[in-house]
Amino acid sequence: MAEKKQHLYEGMFIISAKLSDDARQKAMDRVSKAITDRDGEILKIHDRGRSRLAYEIKKQREGHYYIVYFNAPPSSINELWREYELHEDLIRFMTLRTAAVMEKIEFKPIDVQH
Amino acid sequence: MHPQTPQPRFTSSSHPPEQRNVRKKRRCPFTALGIKHIDYKDIATLSKFITERGKILPRRITGVSATHQKRLALAIKHARHMALLPFVAEF
Repeated sequence: MAEKKQHLYEGMFIISAKLSDDARQKAMDRVSKAITDRDGEILKIHDRGRSRLAYEIKKQREGHYYIVYFNAPPSSINELWREYELHEDLIRFMTLRTAAVMEKIEFKPIDVQH
Repeated sequence: MHPQTPQPRFTSSSHPPEQRNVRKKRRCPFTALGIKHIDYKDIATLSKFITERGKILPRRITGVSATHQKRLALAIKHARHMALLPFVAEF
């Protein structure tokens, strides 16, 4: 039998900025553990630091952003979603299919006139 | 002149022929640069295609091609979900 089908995903997670560094690390470990428990493989984690939210979520105006690249079987995404919904310190998350792992989160500014 | 006759915008008397109806042709900025994938994390770029209230600008104003407008709109919506861009910006 061939290996189970896997896709590359990019997840963005906002962890509450009210947590201490230790508690935040724990919350992030729970996020990654959910992936590895479902035959997923974490490829890269970007810590984007604290940032102001564009609007209030769960009475909070600040969040700590993480971007995680991982391989996982497609069927696990639904399970992950249910798991993350129950995570109290995770104030927002999103996983998207992606083509490549971004080693650096940087963008070239584009010149637009209109 | 008859009141119902539409007034031409530029009359030959007021403008020399080479200046009549001169309009710069707009090009889709994404097509021009060969950008295929619009990233929702790229806030600097996305911000150029929203109003100060946070609404997505129509492509008749920005000149974005139909394909890229769809991708751009999706990217802006993803960015809004992650609180990178506002749904409604306050002044």
